[in-house]
Amino acid sequence: MSTVNHEEFERIWKGPAIRIGVVTVVVPMLMCFLPNVYLYVVHGVFPPWGVAFKAWGMIAAIFGAFYIVEPISYYPILGLTGTYISFLSGNIGNLRVPCSAVAQEVVGVEPGTPEAEIVSTLGITGSVITNLFFTTLAAIAGATLLSMLPVSIANAFKNYTVAAIFGAMFGQFTLKYPQLGLVGLGIPVALALGAPALGLPFLAQTWVLIVASVFGTILVGRIFYKAHII
Amino acid sequence: MPDIVLKTANAGMVWGIAIAIIAIVLAQALLYARLAFRTAETIGFPKEKCMLGFRSGAISAIGPSIAVFIVMVGMMSVVGGPITWLRLSIIGAAPTELTAATVGAEALGVKFGSPQYDLMALASSWWTMAVNGTGWLLVTALFTHKLEDLREKVGGGDVKWLAILSSAAILGCFGFLNSRTIIAGVKALSSGSTQASGPFYATIGGLVSMMLLVKLGQKIPALREYNLGLAMLIGMATAVILA
Repeated sequence: MSTVNHEEFERIWKGPAIRIGVVTVVVPMLMCFLPNVYLYVVHGVFPPWGVAFKAWGMIAAIFGAFYIVEPISYYPILGLTGTYISFLSGNIGNLRVPCSAVAQEVVGVEPGTPEAEIVSTLGITGSVITNLFFTTLAAIAGATLLSMLPVSIANAFKNYTVAAIFGAMFGQFTLKYPQLGLVGLGIPVALALGAPALGLPFLAQTWVLIVASVFGTILVGRIFYKAHII
Repeated sequence: MPDIVLKTANAGMVWGIAIAIIAIVLAQALLYARLAFRTAETIGFPKEKCMLGFRSGAISAIGPSIAVFIVMVGMMSVVGGPITWLRLSIIGAAPTELTAATVGAEALGVKFGSPQYDLMALASSWWTMAVNGTGWLLVTALFTHKLEDLREKVGGGDVKWLAILSSAAILGCFGFLNSRTIIAGVKALSSGSTQASGPFYATIGGLVSMMLLVKLGQKIPALREYNLGLAMLIGMATAVILA
């Protein structure tokens, strides 16, 4: 379907995509410290460096593994542009990945092709626009609008949307590769239940579960593909 | 939380900073959309299909965005409007950000949101949220292009294998994300309880309805754009009815 070769696509897509990505990730990352600069300049307040580093250490102890594990584990799903967009704007599992997948499904592109990369990017950018609209609306008139929504409906959205979307995504892809669906769910369940029972509780840590689930399923996919099972 | 703290957290300057950062998030999306349209034109991929992809993403984001909206209103009352807007428009969902805000206060020995939560504690909370987000952003900025090289090496230009690779990654990822809810649900049901928790039913409702919707979409293609929204609503309804 493509009329351009691999090198040509690299030149017109990959190069600009990396340049846009690095700049639009690094600049906001630094700007996130501006609220602290404001507090220091206007009110003369900043925690002593000892406290600041202690807080950094405490939060990195909780999330540090995810800084590395998540970009790597989500990469095969999100691709180049998808990773820059998703790790800047967040909401990866509940928004970016589903929107990329739905866009590719609706347009009907073959995964792994330049066309799929383009459509995935557009699906994700579309989701960013919608998402920014709603967060801006919440910032401007959130409390007023929320008070107009019946409590039961607000609670249903708050408590159940994420679980329903996770289930839906799993369903969509299980339909394509049912064997891999079993593997994808089987690995984390087996580790979460089996590892503590075998006296290996460190294997049931969240970041281990993510890595084992994603790369374990890819590995089994490779074996099944080579064996012509899928 | 003392009044002065909440007032400072909602200062005009903080709103200004939030607007500037969110403008870059928007600019990034527009730059990538433009790159996608241009590249599509160069390789001869129809513009209508590009529009369809963009629209599908925008429509599918409505449901999950409403959930973000509701969580965000709750968080605004705790840490102030502009910082919530800023933090929830970039990496880190509400639980992550609230954890960082709490840890920041605790490093000072102050309980988050208590009467002792002063401007210094606010500064420590903001610092901790910013430095935490930096972890993901820095790794992304430094290593994403290396991951692309790795994918090309592993993929080897074999389109069929690349399709399996990304689908397997999605199934592993969402298998993990669903596993806790499913384990808890099955445990509850097998312990003789007549009902499991709401999220378990939402997961099962979303899973089964999405499978049916994808099948249905093969007959009625116009439906496919709404698949995710519909599956989400069916999952939610299942949870409300059964839980």
